[in-house]
Amino acid sequence: MTNQDNFTKFINKYPHPHLAYFNRPHLSRRSFFNVAGAGLGGAWLLNREADACTVQTAQKVTTKNTAKNVIFVLMTGAPSHTDTFDLKVINGTTPAAMNPTTFGGTNWPVGLMPKMAQQLGKMTLVRSVRSWALVHSLSQTWTQIGRNPAAALGNIAPNIGSIVAIEKDPQRQPGQIFPAFLALNSAGGIGNGYLPANYAPFRVAPNAAGLPNTVNTLGQTPFNTMYSRLHQLDDNLRRNSPLGAPMDDYDAFYASAQQLMYNSPVASAFSFPGSESTRYGSSSFGNACLVAKQVLAANQGTRFIQISLGNWDMHQDIYGAQNPKGNNLFNLCPQLDNGMSALVADLDQAGLLNQTLIVLAGEFGRTVGPVTPAGGRDHYNQQSVIFIGGGTRGGKVIGTTDATGSDTTDFGWSRQRYVRPEDVEATIYSALGIDWTTVRCDDPLLRGFEYVPFSSQDLYGPINELWA
Amino acid sequence: MTNRVKRTVPVAAALILATTAGLALLPAQSLFGPELPSDPICTRFLSMGRQIPGDTGGGSVASPNAILLGRLTESITGQLPVAEVSPGGSRTSTAVNTANLGLVDQYIFSALESAGIQPAEQTTDWEFIRRVTLDLTGRIPVPARVLSFVSDTNPAKRTALVDELMASSTWVDKWTIYFGDLYRNNSANTQIRRSPGGVTAFHDYIRASLQQSKPYDQMAKELISTQGTDSYKTGEINFNVGGVVTGGPVQDVWDQQTANIADTFLGVAHVNCLLCHNGAGHLTTLSLWGGQQARVAAWGLSAFMTQTYTQAFLVPPANNVYYWSIIDTNAARGPGKYSLNTTTGNRPQRQPIGAVTAVTPAYIFTGEVPQAGENYRQALARMVVADPQFARATVNYMWAYFFGVGLVDPPDTFDPLRLDADNPPPAPWTLQPSNPRLLNALTTAFIANKFDVKWLMRTLVNSQAYQLQSRYNGQWNVAWNNSFGRKLVRRLWAEELHDAIAISSNSVPTYNTTNYGVINYAMQFPEPLAVPDGLAGKVSGFLDSFLRGNRDDEVRSGDGSILQALNLMNDSFVMTRTSPSTPVSALLPSNIGKSNTDLVNTLFLAVLSRYPTAAELATASTNLANVQTRNQEAQYLLWSLYNKVDFTFNY
Repeated sequence: MTNQDNFTKFINKYPHPHLAYFNRPHLSRRSFFNVAGAGLGGAWLLNREADACTVQTAQKVTTKNTAKNVIFVLMTGAPSHTDTFDLKVINGTTPAAMNPTTFGGTNWPVGLMPKMAQQLGKMTLVRSVRSWALVHSLSQTWTQIGRNPAAALGNIAPNIGSIVAIEKDPQRQPGQIFPAFLALNSAGGIGNGYLPANYAPFRVAPNAAGLPNTVNTLGQTPFNTMYSRLHQLDDNLRRNSPLGAPMDDYDAFYASAQQLMYNSPVASAFSFPGSESTRYGSSSFGNACLVAKQVLAANQGTRFIQISLGNWDMHQDIYGAQNPKGNNLFNLCPQLDNGMSALVADLDQAGLLNQTLIVLAGEFGRTVGPVTPAGGRDHYNQQSVIFIGGGTRGGKVIGTTDATGSDTTDFGWSRQRYVRPEDVEATIYSALGIDWTTVRCDDPLLRGFEYVPFSSQDLYGPINELWA
Repeated sequence: MTNRVKRTVPVAAALILATTAGLALLPAQSLFGPELPSDPICTRFLSMGRQIPGDTGGGSVASPNAILLGRLTESITGQLPVAEVSPGGSRTSTAVNTANLGLVDQYIFSALESAGIQPAEQTTDWEFIRRVTLDLTGRIPVPARVLSFVSDTNPAKRTALVDELMASSTWVDKWTIYFGDLYRNNSANTQIRRSPGGVTAFHDYIRASLQQSKPYDQMAKELISTQGTDSYKTGEINFNVGGVVTGGPVQDVWDQQTANIADTFLGVAHVNCLLCHNGAGHLTTLSLWGGQQARVAAWGLSAFMTQTYTQAFLVPPANNVYYWSIIDTNAARGPGKYSLNTTTGNRPQRQPIGAVTAVTPAYIFTGEVPQAGENYRQALARMVVADPQFARATVNYMWAYFFGVGLVDPPDTFDPLRLDADNPPPAPWTLQPSNPRLLNALTTAFIANKFDVKWLMRTLVNSQAYQLQSRYNGQWNVAWNNSFGRKLVRRLWAEELHDAIAISSNSVPTYNTTNYGVINYAMQFPEPLAVPDGLAGKVSGFLDSFLRGNRDDEVRSGDGSILQALNLMNDSFVMTRTSPSTPVSALLPSNIGKSNTDLVNTLFLAVLSRYPTAAELATASTNLANVQTRNQEAQYLLWSLYNKVDFTFNY
């Protein structure tokens, strides 16, 4: 029996990952009370130690610990892997304008993504990835939480970024005032789950003018006067409040919010000139990449940045044969190419690429071979995931698919089975030095929340080949 | 399933949430080792105390109407006003009247007495009308009603106000949102789409049920058992549509529909656990009942769904959205039994147990089976509403909403074997409710009153316990939060804040929504909508920041955040409504000509539903004194009121 067969057998028998209560690690429970008040993306000013309980690990593992930060690009709608990162040239189907080119054995559509082609040496293409499901919202959630959303705790599971935020909270330095988890163009993204609100994604749609609502329309000096008037009137209710502790907590949020206002690191990291936006491709995705770079360069405590880039769900006219101006690969890929290539180049130049792991993933792939009668591609399990930087080696391909890209022929990594979202999750944690077998004991059902499901059975794990 | 938890539990209740959910019953050693670890955070918090500020800020009561206040004070306390800090322009709070305790109060106050906890004082009329209007209707009271209420000399005016509020259309608005949250009425969840057509039908069903004061057992029966061929037309079938899961066999769908019913109507979320595995070894230390249950018993519950087919149909001609049908059939499409024949899907494989290859319906809590020829889902609905646990869970959900923490909390973690005070569970288990006899009495009375939700609300909000102040003049121990010796504050819902800002400023926006027509008040949204604001760009971000949730994987939450503070301080939705001149704002331009005292009083009354204290009036008047900067200072004042914690919270 192969590893994949064993894995399939196990997962069919135990699709619901969680630890039973009595198997949970011995715990020392702290009160949620103080953490609950600590803040959205802003706990840093209040409770550095805000860890709701002592976490334990399922196994002794060695993490890679080569990355400080993660940029997670979620390509929603699911990109066609065989037209992009696992390019298969099909006579009569693949448009010549895609300019398929081979770089040391790796096919790449230079016509779609010319700039990223120049950076293949920094990139690892993992082509043996297989999604679990083919429903957009379900699989997008799966990708962001690294587990089955229908599983126990699945509907209250935190975003991977929230786990990173709570794990990295103790490393926050005095004076660092940015949220740990920043979500750019990710309005519908998964939030903090059951974790306190201070580990929720700080959701921003990048804007040249900067972070919304960090300036007041009346101006700074009037605002300061107004703010002092508020305290003059309200301190007897918001400081040592006779009405209860939540009032004091709310005042602390105000204090943190005021620090974000008229603050030059905040203003310079979140705003940008038109020339820079142009360099990143003049798209909302490009602007998000630009802000991500500026935020990491500011070194203000942000550790996980999620960026969403949508419109990959090309059931019709994927090559723009019928409507060149419609939503097709020739119009969407340049956004990715311009933004991502500028981000990689700038991080590299700033010496940040080595400590920043960039992950690009869709929620699944698309059908292979000739396009459908509608000229598009439908949902399909096989997909690719790309890793850049963060101490990974780059310049390689992991996993091989068959001639059409419909299935994996060589898994290309030590576990000798498909790479799953849970493995990508474990890879992110390992890169950041977070033990992916950690079990939290603060979940509301008191069942034990595993960072990566089935950690006690070692079912999933990092793709260590990225570093080899 | 536990996403019901945050929905009803404010920040202040979280400690209780963390310490009562089954942990307290265990001997310390088995969980914590030889000794309990010290908890520096908790200790630090407790040591902070809740001191009353030393400076109460002034000696006399500020009011434009001393006669009114004098009369008011006499009518309530027979005493002169007591000088106090805000809130409450007058302090007319009183001690609890222990002579005539009702259904709720006899249990609460005897528990407080035996625990040695001094209850807070009773609310002033100013505090009460704001609190109960927000809780029942989601709106702040209009100034004229505040004044007429406090000057009303009718000794029964509080119960009269409660009846008035529950007869209003705003009561229907608010509770349509509450039940929309509970039933998770949204156009798309992680698994499936209901589409706006389904949301509208479901929303209309909830509204109509509330308007008709439909008994809650009837509502539950309809939601559990109604059949329909079009989810855009038969709103109530959208409840079971929410149980559809993809990527597995039909048993996965039946299981999720069953789990939703057990969670929503019985408060027993652990049924969901049992649908995957036996309770032994999994729930053994979490639920006395759950630990004794086998997966096959949960399958027996799920088997009530096995005549049921939930199907999607594309809507022509575009064929890009779909509607649902939920139809029961015995013969044509299926066996009407729960086959043990799955190896893949979202839940562990279902395989024959000996010679048993399929499971037939049996109610997990009693073993009762359908009568001959009885439709399975109708049988289930009948058994659910006849189960005292149905009334108990409903009472507890309501209690959790009005009091900030459930008698069993989280409210969907009921352990059926740990509820009876006359039949306590064996050691080391303890009774689960914080006040089991109160829960029992409310449950019995709710049944006797024919599952009348308005009766239940009236009983809760007319109690002295509900009418206690949140203000506590002494050292409060957070461990007392589930004793209900003071009212726990809650941050206003996103919709409540939106509407309170709009109403108080006389600047109600108009939203031309894509799917639901023109809507003015956030409390009338059929689901958490992304809305354009013709006045100030998108307000969705403003609403989202107050954690209204998405009725799927983001739950409504009362947490605070920095983003909330940034938005309240700077968002154009607020700023345009504080302006002394722009056309958006009506409040300041129409009152700016008043004298300083009148202006301050008017603004306080409009925004905070009370008059300022003497100290507040003096401070504000001083700031307004310079005619050169008066307009500016008036805006600062109004802005400050919108940013005061007694605006942001229901206290």
